[in-house]
Amino acid sequence: MEVNITRENNTITVHFSGRMDTLGAQEITPQMNALADEAYGTIIMDCTNLTYICSTGLRIFLALRKSAADKGGKVIVRNICDDIRNVFMMTGFLNLFEIQSYN
Amino acid sequence: MKTDKKENNKLGISMRARLMLVIVAAVTLEATFIIQYVYSQREIKKEASLRAESELKSAENKIMDIVNQTEAAVRNSIWVAEWCLEYPDSLERIPQRVVSENPVVVGSTMALVPNYSEKHPFYAPYAARDLETSKIRMLSLATEEYDYPSMEWFTKPLELNDSYWSEPYFDENGGDILMTTFSMPIKDKDGVVAAILTADISLDWLTNLIGGIKVYPNAFNLVVSRSGQILVCPVETLVMQTTLDKIAQESEDYETFDRVNRSILSGQSGELPVRYHGQTSHVYFSPVERTGWFLSIVLPEKELYSGVRRIGMIVILLQLLGLAMLIIILRVVAKNQNKYLRVNEQKERMENELHIAREIQMAMIPKSFPPFPERKDLDLSAAIIPAKEVGGDLYDFFIRDEKLFFCIGDVSGKGIPASLVMAVTRSLFRAMSAHEDSPAKIITSMNNSMAETNESTMFVTFFCGVLDLKAGQLRYCNAGHNPPMILTDAIRILPVEPNLSLGILKGMDFIEQETPFYYDDALFLYTDGLSEAENVAQEQFGEARIRAALHGRKPSENHLANIEQQVSRFVGEAPQSDDLTMLFIHYLGNADKKTFHLTLHNNVEQIALLPEYVETVAKAAQLDNETIFNLNLALEEAVSNVILYAYPEGTDNVVDIEAKADGNQVSFVITDSGKPFDPTAKEEVDIDAEITDRPIGGLGIHLVRTIMDKVSYERKEEKNILTLILTTKND
Repeated sequence: MEVNITRENNTITVHFSGRMDTLGAQEITPQMNALADEAYGTIIMDCTNLTYICSTGLRIFLALRKSAADKGGKVIVRNICDDIRNVFMMTGFLNLFEIQSYN
Repeated sequence: MKTDKKENNKLGISMRARLMLVIVAAVTLEATFIIQYVYSQREIKKEASLRAESELKSAENKIMDIVNQTEAAVRNSIWVAEWCLEYPDSLERIPQRVVSENPVVVGSTMALVPNYSEKHPFYAPYAARDLETSKIRMLSLATEEYDYPSMEWFTKPLELNDSYWSEPYFDENGGDILMTTFSMPIKDKDGVVAAILTADISLDWLTNLIGGIKVYPNAFNLVVSRSGQILVCPVETLVMQTTLDKIAQESEDYETFDRVNRSILSGQSGELPVRYHGQTSHVYFSPVERTGWFLSIVLPEKELYSGVRRIGMIVILLQLLGLAMLIIILRVVAKNQNKYLRVNEQKERMENELHIAREIQMAMIPKSFPPFPERKDLDLSAAIIPAKEVGGDLYDFFIRDEKLFFCIGDVSGKGIPASLVMAVTRSLFRAMSAHEDSPAKIITSMNNSMAETNESTMFVTFFCGVLDLKAGQLRYCNAGHNPPMILTDAIRILPVEPNLSLGILKGMDFIEQETPFYYDDALFLYTDGLSEAENVAQEQFGEARIRAALHGRKPSENHLANIEQQVSRFVGEAPQSDDLTMLFIHYLGNADKKTFHLTLHNNVEQIALLPEYVETVAKAAQLDNETIFNLNLALEEAVSNVILYAYPEGTDNVVDIEAKADGNQVSFVITDSGKPFDPTAKEEVDIDAEITDRPIGGLGIHLVRTIMDKVSYERKEEKNILTLILTTKND
């Protein structure tokens, strides 16, 4: 599991790649929690290279979404694969996040 | 047609190479020869010139000896002659004395200047030696016909007032003898020239002396007077008849000739090449003091170089002989080479044919993988890596009546016989197994058939198996082949009876064996080309390496590729000596009878083992990828809960997972001995809640419930038992 954060203007882009299983999610939690302070702007969760996500990973997304809601920011999820889209659907995340798809 | 052309090309190249070789040899030989020839010519010329010089010197010395004697004869008589002038009557005693006292002198006169004596106005008594009798006769030259005062021998010394050697002449009186005269003026008391005293000498000795010098057999010598008259010459008719100047005019090389003449006439000695009558001669010349004569040695170049020419001819002949021999040797070599090439070509053609034969055989063997793509219960792959030499490995397989018939074999020996036996073996296998289900019976029939016709005493190690794909039962019979490996939970060697190989003894009984075959069991068959593959250090690949290569097996096709890679890495540069054949049978039937186990420790890193496990189970249940993803997610959520929360932190405990996949459902039973915890008792999360109302937790069990069709919990014997069931879509 790898995560790479880039900042441009008021937009933070988080690139995920690999499997976000329980271990992977635990590893990136501190990095991701730190982003909560900057949740007033736009945060793009780029999932182009994310192949798997478990509930621990979903919790990171949810926590960030909550911070954004508090600070008036926005969380955009970009390019999720069908399997993960299915997980999002099962968990009601499709209603919570703005989902962008492009190639 | 093609081969002919090829052969021609080969011959052509060899011919060109031969030609080049001969040319190079010839050029080298000729160059050496020319250099050597030129140098020896130069040396010979130097040598000839030294010889000619010394001969000329010695001839000149001999001439000077005579000249000196003659001059001395006259000079010794001067005082008497001066004295006698006063007694003219006694004058005739003077010439008489000169002749008698000097054997060299053949005639002498004391000729008075006309009118010097009143008594004898013309007086010239002449003493002549008769050449036959040696008697001295007295004559007088003061005759009307002779008119001595006008003679050269008289006028010149008078004119010069000094001694003088006359031009040679033929003596008219004393026979045709070439003569020359030394004249000396005699003065009276008043210092007036009163008479001329002479001494005639014959030049016969000159001819003998000079003609006798033979520097080379065909060389000749010339003596030329100061006016250019030829005095001595091998052609006698030319003597006194011609001059150098005339000869020069006849010559086609007048300029050089003229230079010789001018050099001679100006009294220099030297050497010049002259062309005369079509041949070049080297002319060496040297003046003789006082007489005004010239000695010359004429050396025809042909003669000069005849020795070296002769050697040259011999050398050239030897060279030609050598070159001819070289050509012959090259031809013989080329012929042998061609023979060798033809043999090679034959061998190549045979190898080619063998190769084709082998390809035909290989075509008999099933080679497209996967061979049964429609079957989910069987994954089979095989490989033959042929050695350079033709060998006799074989494998074969087919399915009949829901049974997999398979075999592997290795024919003893190599080459065509082995490959032919291999083809026979394969045909027999197909024929015998067409209606027979028992491997032992198949092998027995094959053996009988082969042993009957086996005149070349070749044998085949052979393993035959019949796997009942429905019942999961493997029946097999081994005829001397190395036992296969069976891969269940562990890798073991399949126990085999020590039966004889095929083709050795007719009527042999072969013992059949059997073993149950479960889902995910596999059989790895190979020939000794694998176990005995040698590296450069002559170590064998061996069973231990095969086991290591099989460990952690994956789908079989990759598996064989992996083993091939390991073998080729092991063998390295060493040449492959034997065929290497492998057959890998992976049974995936009877999945519903199989229980899949996985035990994890309470360490979050252990979660990484889940995907492979889920995949194995899913494959048995023939699930699609989306379902596998979800199954993995549900299992992870359930298991991670246990790993993270069931046991106190820092303790080492386990969680057991047991899965079953029959045709209708996939079930996972997750068991742990941690603190009691019932995830099903948790309240469902509201996934439609607004963001601010959404709780962070509860998503895991929600996913498990959503994905699985049935989730149940029970606490039994101090254990949490969570059962997850997914109904599969198949029927």
